[in-house]
Amino acid sequence: MAEIVAGFGMPHNPGSPALVAREGPQCETARFYAEMAKNIEAVAPDVLVIFTDDHFNTFFLDNFPTFAIGIADATAGPNDQTPMPHYKVAVPGALAAHIRTTAIKHDFDISLVQDFDVDHAVMVPLHFITPHMKIPVLPIFVNALAPPLPTARRCFALGEAVRAAVENWPQPLRVAAIGSGSFSLEIGGPKIPQGRRVAGTPDPQWSQHVQDLLNEVRIDDLITEATTARMLQAGNIGGELLNWIALLGVIGARKPVTMLPQNDHGQAFAVWRWN
Amino acid sequence: MSVYAVNKLCRQALHDPAFREALKRDPAAAIAPLDLTDDERRALVAGDVAWLYERGCHPFLLAYLTRWDLFGLKGEIYSERIRKASDARDN
Repeated sequence: MAEIVAGFGMPHNPGSPALVAREGPQCETARFYAEMAKNIEAVAPDVLVIFTDDHFNTFFLDNFPTFAIGIADATAGPNDQTPMPHYKVAVPGALAAHIRTTAIKHDFDISLVQDFDVDHAVMVPLHFITPHMKIPVLPIFVNALAPPLPTARRCFALGEAVRAAVENWPQPLRVAAIGSGSFSLEIGGPKIPQGRRVAGTPDPQWSQHVQDLLNEVRIDDLITEATTARMLQAGNIGGELLNWIALLGVIGARKPVTMLPQNDHGQAFAVWRWN
Repeated sequence: MSVYAVNKLCRQALHDPAFREALKRDPAAAIAPLDLTDDERRALVAGDVAWLYERGCHPFLLAYLTRWDLFGLKGEIYSERIRKASDARDN
């Protein structure tokens, strides 16, 4: 039987690959991603499920799913001009199809996408944590950017459905789940902080508060507090917390073993391991 | 209001270098073939991102314009203007 073996949360700033290339392995972003990579290596998953939000690249506003799952043999990216290497990576298509079927049985009307590339929200984390691209990656897309957003409770339940599907998969398989995104970030909107150009972090306190709730395993409080209005007060990209909340649905109520804050950037890096 | 067409224009500016060059050369001519209202054309050519934002254009997409200073939108100018936009999140 397949099992969930670990969870990870991390940001996906498109500037990070260039930043780390410029500043070297001792800069904070490099060290924090290295900590994620070290844990991935220790856990040795066979598959990575990544909850991600497409930034109008894989999809566009002509057809923008609330939830979608990628079912294919492979994907590639980034498809959004992010300055970083272009990668191809395998997708576990049969497992993805099984998760889709299970999710629909759990009343999730999840869209199907079979011929797709992915943007920086998938490829920036992978660039740092699995640069060899040898671990198949299963993307599940959550609308975190184009309101109306799905509710936090719905995203948590989606994660629970994904866990049920994995635990129903007949072959032995070690699955790790990732939530990709920031807690407080405004791009191109009125809440760009004074002194910042085009993007910035309007609400570092919310970023810390989210981490406090995660550290204290107050999942119900997090779900209750993470209304669309509250998340978007922290920035128009603040809905990316939903990717983390979906991850929590997969791994259940557990305390993170690592939480590395970057509150000036409204984000954090986290690891959940239990064996 | 064809907000969708403005959003699409921003995306095309990111992905289509020829369109981007045309926008740099002669913004009004480059957007002439697009399905936009007169007010939208005026707002785009004037770099009036607050007006566009207030009518529903997505800020993540609008922000692409600053990467190449399209419609005169250097990052600083864009940021000053968008901060003055009415923000539905505060209502």
